[in-house]
Amino acid sequence: MSLKKFSELFIDLDSCNSTNKKIGILQNYFSSNEALENSWTIYLLTGKNNKRFISGRSLKTLFSEIYEYPLWLIDSCYLKVGDSAEVISLLLRNMITEKNIKYQDVSLDELLNKSFPELSILKEDDKKLKVKEIWANIPVDNLLVINKILTGTFRVGVSIGLITKSIAKLINLDEAIISHRLMGDFIPSEESYKLLIDKKINTSELNYKPYPFLLANTFEKKIIDKSINDFQFEWKWDGIRIQLIKRSGKVSIWTRGQDLVNKSFPELVEKISSIKDDFVIDGELLVWDFNQNLPLNFSLLQKRINRKAPSRSIQKSLPIVFIAYDLLEINGEDQRDSNLVIRRKSLEKHLYNWLNESKKELSNIFKISDLIYPKNWVEVETFKNNSRDNGTEGLVIKNKKSIYTPGRKKGLWWKYKVDPMQLDAVLIYAKGGSGIRAGLYTDYSFALWKDGELIKFASAYSGLNNNEIKELDRWIRQNTIDRFGPVRSVRPEMVFEISFENIQISKRHKSGIAVRFPRITKWRKDKLIKDADTLENAEKLMLNK
Amino acid sequence: MKEDSSYLIKYTRSGLYCELADAWIDPIKPVKRALITHAHMDHFTFGCDEYISTYETAVIIKERIGKEINIKTYDYEKEFKINGIKISFHPSGHILGSSQIKFSLAEEIWLITGDFKRQKDETCKEYEIVKTDYLISESTFGLPIFKWDEPQKTATDISKWVNSSQEKTSILFCYSLGKAQRILNEISKTNFINNIYIHSSIYRMNNCYKKLGIDIIETKKLEQTKNNLDLKGSLIILPPSLNKSSYLKNFKDIQTGFASGWMSIRALRKRSGYDKGFSISDHADWIAILRTIKESKAKNVFFHHGDSEALNKYLKEKNSINVLEFEYKK
Repeated sequence: MSLKKFSELFIDLDSCNSTNKKIGILQNYFSSNEALENSWTIYLLTGKNNKRFISGRSLKTLFSEIYEYPLWLIDSCYLKVGDSAEVISLLLRNMITEKNIKYQDVSLDELLNKSFPELSILKEDDKKLKVKEIWANIPVDNLLVINKILTGTFRVGVSIGLITKSIAKLINLDEAIISHRLMGDFIPSEESYKLLIDKKINTSELNYKPYPFLLANTFEKKIIDKSINDFQFEWKWDGIRIQLIKRSGKVSIWTRGQDLVNKSFPELVEKISSIKDDFVIDGELLVWDFNQNLPLNFSLLQKRINRKAPSRSIQKSLPIVFIAYDLLEINGEDQRDSNLVIRRKSLEKHLYNWLNESKKELSNIFKISDLIYPKNWVEVETFKNNSRDNGTEGLVIKNKKSIYTPGRKKGLWWKYKVDPMQLDAVLIYAKGGSGIRAGLYTDYSFALWKDGELIKFASAYSGLNNNEIKELDRWIRQNTIDRFGPVRSVRPEMVFEISFENIQISKRHKSGIAVRFPRITKWRKDKLIKDADTLENAEKLMLNK
Repeated sequence: MKEDSSYLIKYTRSGLYCELADAWIDPIKPVKRALITHAHMDHFTFGCDEYISTYETAVIIKERIGKEINIKTYDYEKEFKINGIKISFHPSGHILGSSQIKFSLAEEIWLITGDFKRQKDETCKEYEIVKTDYLISESTFGLPIFKWDEPQKTATDISKWVNSSQEKTSILFCYSLGKAQRILNEISKTNFINNIYIHSSIYRMNNCYKKLGIDIIETKKLEQTKNNLDLKGSLIILPPSLNKSSYLKNFKDIQTGFASGWMSIRALRKRSGYDKGFSISDHADWIAILRTIKESKAKNVFFHHGDSEALNKYLKEKNSINVLEFEYKK
């Protein structure tokens, strides 16, 4: 029985800013709890495949119907709180008396394996009764956690890394092993937890799991003190990072976000299956334009990821390409402790053989990341600045001596991104934020000039610091011209520098353009709105790209 | 419905104003005559010709500003007249000396609650139910998500927070006047045994409270010192203005907490930058506001202080009372 314990864990972790203390809290929790409950805890904390049993909207509607409570009042509260699950648990304190509670405690397994899954098959009225029963019979202090699990929004500042560390400490085993065991799907059960904390290392258990990814750090100026020959240079592709695994003849494609995406890319699975060797390769997946021999926009790749079992025609119109970066395992042998140069040679050799053996079959879908050879650091700069020409977003610089270790360790790989494109735009709309930014206007829309009119071209949420957010929030409230629900239109007066990674034609937007990763990089208090950029300037950026 | 101009109390640039008595209530600009509901500095403005308040409020104000002002005092319930308007102070339960102000002319009664709360607080007089025709109330926490825990529960949470981190110096931020004394009083009833240190501004307010007959537990005054005192395991209470100031460099290994009603919302707690938030307020929560309106028997209600949009709409839908808004609100 441990909802209560889990709820306390949530409160403790939520109000703790020290990593070491968090590890201590988790260690205590795991060591004093049952295996099955621990496995559910890990499932919830890592947020892997956290299922949504009820949407936030329905949760509010259910509450409104059960207690005959005005929905608009719940929405007003939401603006302040920014989280449906929390709003409802705060409001429930007005509705529930603690007296006749049936379950002082209940197990996570009972909730997540039985009570909650049942909800989805119930008819509306029965669902209402069931939810009401849950709310009325669980101590009020635990309802926040309940509602967060119900809406699939359970999050608390705990990374997989932190769980890895606490489990590793708990059983005194190497972090890398635990990290590997936690990769991929974690299906909660007594067994899965016992396997996780098993002190014996069993190679076959790890068969389908990817290795923890090596992540690049942001470029540091100090590395240019070193010889250019110490580094390997590659393009930074803007796709999804994946590990392509073939073990015992079985192919699996894992994203860095630890999703198994075989179903979205059946053509890759099929072609890879024909290779005779087993391997694990780190690389990038992209949608490719074979006419121009350039990658296509990221949004098209997203279309492919979201579509399970794509038809032949989609496979043809949005063809994918895998670009191999690194060889991590070959025929059962872990290569990660060899240095980069050796791994690269081995990758080139094997790929050459595979492509030869398969004739043309494989070469269209399986490429290797080309190396670039700048002669000096000045040339590195030039390569970086021209990286948009071949559809990449900069360079990746790798220390030739680097071994392949989990996470973002210093001194191994660096990403050196091309400077973003920038436009000065005028703030025209603002919307209330959610989550931690609830109650503040933090979602902004920006416009550019066209024929003396301001046309919306991008929305951005990030880039201002906390003081600027507060200042702008105040300004927005004082300069509102009109309101549409949660959105305010404001007096066009404030100019911001907006940076973005890419720009392309879009029929869906009034401006006719769409930008990627727009963010605020400067509040241009020095500029008047007449100094803001025009749509024409944006179009020029698109042409010069 | 009456026009603003015919109201006994109206809203002006300088604050709430009773024209017939030529008196402002907690004015925000210097005026001729100021009725002061309580001694928090955001309700006080320098430079008025004349101040009127309860005795306790006057004592605290003079202690805070450190000089004499022309202030006249009246006991709670004691009726006095200005230009024929009958006026009296009634306990509002917010802090020591805080009051509601009742105005009557002929048969019509107006009541300004000022900042008020309905929860138990042994450091000040309990809120008095006053019947009125017109009620001007505050809506600082005018949403149903606000529902205060028992102060003893919050005090227990604070003690636990300190006790579970003996290796740290626990710094709790709260307002020096009212909140600090209330928290000290509540903590004294838990089994908290660690040292408590308080900032000099709080120390002065404690002395004021003691002088006015309120029991406050003995605490150590924090002396400005560069020597890092070994304060591990102690509770230190400071005013919020010192958060993130260089003053904090005097302490090693700290954890910080903030005691305020806003801390009941997770987003605000996270955004505040404090390690921990303790929900405790000297204002009325949603249920207390509704209860107060009902018990006042008022037929008309205004809100100021805080966003009252939701409260206005809710009351209008319930149709139980006439909700009015001041015409001039800027």
